[in-house]
Amino acid sequence: MRGQALKWTAWGLVGATVALAVVLASRFGGDPGLVDSPLLGKPAPEFEMEYLDGGGTLALGDLEGEIVILNFFASWCPECRKEHDDFVATADAFAAEGVTVVQATYQEDPEASSRYLDQEGRSDAIHYVHDAGSRTAIAYGVFGIPETFFIDESGTVVGKIIGESDALTLGAAIDAIRRGESPGQEVTGNTQQAPD
Amino acid sequence: MSERTRTWLFLTAIATLGVVLVLTVSVQPQTESRVSHIGSRIKCPVCQGESIADSPSQMAQDMMSLIEERVAQGATDAEIETEILAAYSGAVLLDPPMSGRTLALWLAPAAVAILGLAVIVRWRRQTPESGVTTDVGRPSSRRRLIGGVVLTVAMVTIVVIAATALQDREGPAAGVANPEAQDLENVSNETLEAVIAANDDHPDINGWRLALAERYYEAGDYRSAFPHYLAVADSGVASAAEAITSLVRLGWMAYDGNEESETALTLFDRALEIDPSSQVALYLKGTVLWCGDRDADAARDMFADLLDDPELPDESRVQIEEDLADLDAGEECT
Amino acid sequence: MMLALFGTAGVLAALTGGGLLAVRGIRVARGGKSDLIGPARLLAAGAIAAMAALEIALTADDFSLSYVANQHSTATPFPFDVATAWAALEGSIVLWGLVLAGFTWMAVRRYRKAPDSLAAGALAVMGGVAVFFFGLILTVSNPFEVCTSALEVGCAQSSPFPWSTVAAPAQGPGPNPLLQNHYLMAVHPPVLYLGYVGMTVPFAYAISALALGVPGPEWIRRSHRSTLVAWSFLTLGIVLGGWWAYEVLSWGGYWAWDPVENASFMPWLAATAFIHSGLVQQRRQMLQAWNFVLVIAVFSLTILGTFLTRSGTINSVHSFTQSAIGPALLGFLVLVLVGSFSLFATRSNLVSTSPRVDSFVSREGSFLANNLLLTVYGFVVLVGTIYPLLLEAFTGDQTAVGEPFFNRLAVPLSFLLLLFMGLGPVLPWRGSPPGQLWARVRAPIALGLAAGVATALWVSPVGWVVLAVTFATYVTSGIVGLLLEQSRARSAKGGQSIWREMRRVVVNDQTFWAGQMSHIGVVVVVVGIAFAANLSHHDEVTLEPGDQTEFAGYSIVYESPFQVREPNRLVRGARVTVLRGDDFVASLEPRANFYGSDTTGVVTPAVLSRPWGDLYLTLRDIDSERVELVLDTSPLIWMIWLGGILTAGGGAWSVSSRRQERALVRQSLIADV
Repeated sequence: MRGQALKWTAWGLVGATVALAVVLASRFGGDPGLVDSPLLGKPAPEFEMEYLDGGGTLALGDLEGEIVILNFFASWCPECRKEHDDFVATADAFAAEGVTVVQATYQEDPEASSRYLDQEGRSDAIHYVHDAGSRTAIAYGVFGIPETFFIDESGTVVGKIIGESDALTLGAAIDAIRRGESPGQEVTGNTQQAPD
Repeated sequence: MSERTRTWLFLTAIATLGVVLVLTVSVQPQTESRVSHIGSRIKCPVCQGESIADSPSQMAQDMMSLIEERVAQGATDAEIETEILAAYSGAVLLDPPMSGRTLALWLAPAAVAILGLAVIVRWRRQTPESGVTTDVGRPSSRRRLIGGVVLTVAMVTIVVIAATALQDREGPAAGVANPEAQDLENVSNETLEAVIAANDDHPDINGWRLALAERYYEAGDYRSAFPHYLAVADSGVASAAEAITSLVRLGWMAYDGNEESETALTLFDRALEIDPSSQVALYLKGTVLWCGDRDADAARDMFADLLDDPELPDESRVQIEEDLADLDAGEECT
Repeated sequence: MMLALFGTAGVLAALTGGGLLAVRGIRVARGGKSDLIGPARLLAAGAIAAMAALEIALTADDFSLSYVANQHSTATPFPFDVATAWAALEGSIVLWGLVLAGFTWMAVRRYRKAPDSLAAGALAVMGGVAVFFFGLILTVSNPFEVCTSALEVGCAQSSPFPWSTVAAPAQGPGPNPLLQNHYLMAVHPPVLYLGYVGMTVPFAYAISALALGVPGPEWIRRSHRSTLVAWSFLTLGIVLGGWWAYEVLSWGGYWAWDPVENASFMPWLAATAFIHSGLVQQRRQMLQAWNFVLVIAVFSLTILGTFLTRSGTINSVHSFTQSAIGPALLGFLVLVLVGSFSLFATRSNLVSTSPRVDSFVSREGSFLANNLLLTVYGFVVLVGTIYPLLLEAFTGDQTAVGEPFFNRLAVPLSFLLLLFMGLGPVLPWRGSPPGQLWARVRAPIALGLAAGVATALWVSPVGWVVLAVTFATYVTSGIVGLLLEQSRARSAKGGQSIWREMRRVVVNDQTFWAGQMSHIGVVVVVVGIAFAANLSHHDEVTLEPGDQTEFAGYSIVYESPFQVREPNRLVRGARVTVLRGDDFVASLEPRANFYGSDTTGVVTPAVLSRPWGDLYLTLRDIDSERVELVLDTSPLIWMIWLGGILTAGGGAWSVSSRRQERALVRQSLIADV
């Protein structure tokens, strides 16, 4: 091969190396497994789940016009346990103000979830449901728990929290939705993918 | 047997066998069910790289049941894939489509193959340059070597700088910056009130109350701030700093809002019980003694004590010295 | 404290040795005089000391070292103690350093016998690489940090200064359960590292040749043996990894195109291409420029692989935890690539005048095809592995690239490679007289097709299976045919029997026939993969004690559950009896092992190996009442392991035969004198 062509090829390879290195380096410090939810800004997927303690099913359509906070949890998830009280308090605080909290158990026997709730305390304002076959979790693209979705009054998914929430985060999200903004996706901590 | 005969024999054998082979071989039989096939193209979201067909995890099995159901309902492969991708995004697709943004994935190897072929063919066609060069002796240019080193260092620097600039991904690994500080800014007063009202026994409640009360205080709304400062001061679980802040604010509001010097002084004393060296408490007490009680001597003592404190910040020192000067001059307090 | 001091001292010694070697090596290469043996000795001694310190600390349960405190447990059985040295990041770099010191020592011995600038330059490069790796150990990846604040189990804080106050925990959590489960896992990393690190040698010689302006085949000739040694170990390491995955992980597979697996496969592909094109350069002085590019690629790919595994930039089953080593490795990678290619660019005039190929119908021609195909193959794997990163960085979209993509491209490429693998050996250098190729290749083609037809009619009509057998027969009969042809020729001349001549033919050209053995190994692997992937059976059953089920001609009877407590783990499993008709075949115990406080358990399959293939039982769920079992067959899967060993063995044979040849040449030279 002519010397010139070789030279240009070699320099080209140098350039390609630098470009590749920059791309690789940009991923430092990030979570390689983090996925941006494609549901943000889209209509919330329909669901229909049975109440944990019997008495029929809950469908998303039943909650039209409300701000819906959909939280996936299970008793085997320590982060979910930590945020339990915050959901109770938030639900109580906003019960009369057009905000509905739905907590769906994920990959757990409904009886075990019920026992856990008896221990930790319930809120009358929260709809406790059981996600059979993980259908709702799949529809919402759940990668692990706890994950919490925010659906505004018009039924659009406007926010998602990956990891543990607290009363302030939930309150801030509700504020934002009321102002007409979208809380977007936020990562607050780790999620657990399966029971230990 | 002549060479020609042998050649013909082999050719016939090869041709016949080839035809027989093509006829007897079946296109890969569909031993794999449709469900399995679709499942092998979707990555299990709770595993590391396995497809949901391969993974034993519960989530994978649930997704496979979903696919089974959809197949039974008559959905096409594409529809089922689209449904799952709508929820999870392309990040779970193991076989990127040959179109749109992922087209490059398929084109790149083809491009390399074609390029390689072109290089080989062109290389063959070129007339060789004169002779084969062997050893040309050590090159004399030390400059080239230095240039190379400089270039490398420069490249590495570029990479580091560019990478730092490009870094915008934050995940749990990056650590969660004080979440409360961020959240509080975004929460309206009403919401904070509601949350506090509902969260009586939450461990962070004093922090929230204080933050809300400070907002009201800064805005001059003493009436709204009052109950929160009171709650923090009376709660048994407030930290020393939180309690002192509340008491001191309550005291000042009592004096400034209601002109109740006695109440204010009592509150400052309570704060000083917790931390006798609290600069804020001492200063405010001194100020109230001077302005409210008109007890100049006591006020002077307080200011003097303060000035003795070696850890007093410079601005405060200046302020106190001014006040002391005013006091000594017998002026009215401000 | 003592061990930490000893280990750190070892690392410092190795670092110094490497640095001196680099500096002095450059001096000697430029014409000066300096002792290179001393620094090499220091490097080796330091590396050995460091590794010894680590191993002693592990086997003696010295929890004052934070590495031991966080990785080791007194309950771990002995061989896994030793293997814990490379179970986590910090220790594995020490292993890398040790292997590098070993290869450097071998290179120094060669330098001693033939001291010249090329060798000195190569030693300098190796010294530089050693400086980097031991520098890593000293800074971001230090297993000799002492524990300064202990937890109940493990170490909370540590300090790199050996004289710090030690607060050692009483116990450590033990190595990752997956690493304690099987002996293969203890062996897999060292073997793989021997492969990776060995590629430093040809790279060092190449850089030396470029820097000194000495093109030509000499640098390849000197480093070829090291390349073969490294390549053999890399082959073996990859096969061991697959074998371990199959035996230990319960998914019945052996290759998942996981990024870290790909990280070992890419250098292997590049190294295979390099071995072939290196031969072309040695014989015909061609492809000089290409060989430089290729060897730089091989070395860079080993560093890239290490980087991908350890930096947390890619999601993978193998990922180590994130640490500061990521940026360090990336920086080194950039330095290597930019530095080498810049050097190459400035010397390009030296290598642009190689002779041209006369005819593509020649061994050079098929080697060119082989290189092109292997390069495309390597590119496919590289692009597939980093594509998700690139896509996300440039567009923000996310995607995953997995098995379907890789298989779709890799399978046709593999068959194309096999096609040329059958042609290359039967084609002479420089070109073949018309008709000779046809004479040599017509029988293999016919036999291959015949075997294919036979397979389609009597074994299975599945396309890939038939194709695999066809190509395997075509390649193998080509090799056998060549052997017969040469033996017959000698026999006609010398009068001896063909069989005796056959032995002589092989002995006379061992490097060639060793290569053919590797080729046979490869086609054996291909047949194994084709059968196991396409003709396996799968079933999932739920059984109660006493129940029986039929599967693949066997009767599977579930007897009872069992539970065993071992020092380092709790084993829970199912006792299963396998019958064929009424005859007892085997008693199998698929199980799950629970280490320490882990409640998920490592599921270990029960594998019954027979000549036709494996019966593979996995436990999915078990309680006192029933068991969920997954049943699989893997036909002819042993061919994959056997083929892999044959392939690596061919490389090893080639190395030893070169030594013999050199000895023979030396002897004959002496005799002549």
